[in-house]
Amino acid sequence: MTTAQDHTTRFAELMVEFERPMRRLCGAYATRGVDRDDLFQEIFLAVWRALPAFRGEASTRTWVYRIAHNVALTWQARQRRRDATESPLTEDTSRGAEIDVRRLELKRAVARMPPGDRTLILLWLEGLSAAEIADVTGIKAATVAVRLSRIRRALQPHEVMS
Amino acid sequence: MSDDASTLRAAWMSEAAPSKDDIRKAAGRVLDKDRVDRLRERRLRIAGVVALVFFVPVLLWAAAHGVAPLVRGAYALMAAGCVAAVVAEWVYLGWSKRALPGPDDTLSQLQRTVFMLDCQQWLARTAALWSSPVFAGVVMICVWLYRERTAAGAVTLGAVNIAAWIGSGVFTRRAAAALGRRRRHLEDVLAELDGPS
Repeated sequence: MTTAQDHTTRFAELMVEFERPMRRLCGAYATRGVDRDDLFQEIFLAVWRALPAFRGEASTRTWVYRIAHNVALTWQARQRRRDATESPLTEDTSRGAEIDVRRLELKRAVARMPPGDRTLILLWLEGLSAAEIADVTGIKAATVAVRLSRIRRALQPHEVMS
Repeated sequence: MSDDASTLRAAWMSEAAPSKDDIRKAAGRVLDKDRVDRLRERRLRIAGVVALVFFVPVLLWAAAHGVAPLVRGAYALMAAGCVAAVVAEWVYLGWSKRALPGPDDTLSQLQRTVFMLDCQQWLARTAALWSSPVFAGVVMICVWLYRERTAAGAVTLGAVNIAAWIGSGVFTRRAAAALGRRRRHLEDVLAELDGPS
C-alpha cells in the first residue's frame, strides 16, 4: 500500500469480502439493529485505521478477525449497562416466513454464551481451524480444541432448539 | 469435519448476501466517521496549543505584574493549573488511542486495553487534584477582591468558582467510574478467555 487510493481500494475489497461474516459477528454481540450497525461501523473503522500498517505477515482473514473480535469485546464493555435492560435478539423477526429457525436459534444460543466461549465458537462457525483461532485469540491451539469440543456439545441441535 | 459441524456451520452462514449498494454506503459511513473523529481530535489538540501559547503567557504576565502579592500568586497558580490541564488532556488522548482495539491477538489486546483504562481511570480520578491550582487561584482572587474591592463581587465569583470546581469533580468522578466498569468487564472477559478449559 503506497498511496491513499490503493488504501481505499484495498479497504473496499475487504468490505466486500468480510461484510457478511462481520454482520454475523455483530448479530452475536449486539441485540438491537442500531447497535449491530454501530458495532459493524466500529469494526471497519478499526480495519481502516489499521490497514496502513498491515504488511501481510498474518493472513488477511485472521488479521480481520483479530480486529473484529477486539473491537466487539471492547465495544460490549462500553455498552454493557444499556444492554442489560434490553430485549433479547429480535433481528430476524421482520423477515417473516423467510426466517431460518435453525439459524436464529443458533444465533440466540451463541449470544447467550460467556464472551470467551462466544469468541471461540464464532471463529469456529466462520470456518477457522483451531490453529487459526489460536492465532486470533492468543490461546494455545490445544486449549482451543478442548474448549471448542465442550462448547460444540452445548450447541448440538437438540440443545440449540431447547 | 463431522456432519454436526457441517450442519452448524451451514446454518450459521445461511444468510442472504448484501447488495453492493449497501456495502458502498457502509464503506462511506466508515470513512465519514474516521474524518469526524480525526477532526475532533485535532480540535482538542489545537485548543490545548492555543491555551498554552496564548492563555498561559497572559496568566504568567499577570503573575509578574499583578497589583498585589496575593493576585500575583493567584495568577501563577492558574498558569500552572492550565499547563497541568492541557498536559493531562493530551496524555488522556494518547492513552485513549493506545486503548483502541487493533490487530493484536485478543489476549494481548485485552491486557493492553485493561492497562490503558486503568491509567485513564487514575487520571480521571485525580483530576480534581491536578486542576485544583486553577480553582485555588480564583479563590485567592476572591480573597483579594473581598479585602480590596467589593464583597458582592468576591462572593459571586467565589460561588461560581466553587460550583465549577464541584461540577468538574463530579463529572470526572463519573468518568472514572465508567472507565472502571469497562476495565472490570474486560478483566472478567480476560479471565474467562484465559481461564482453564
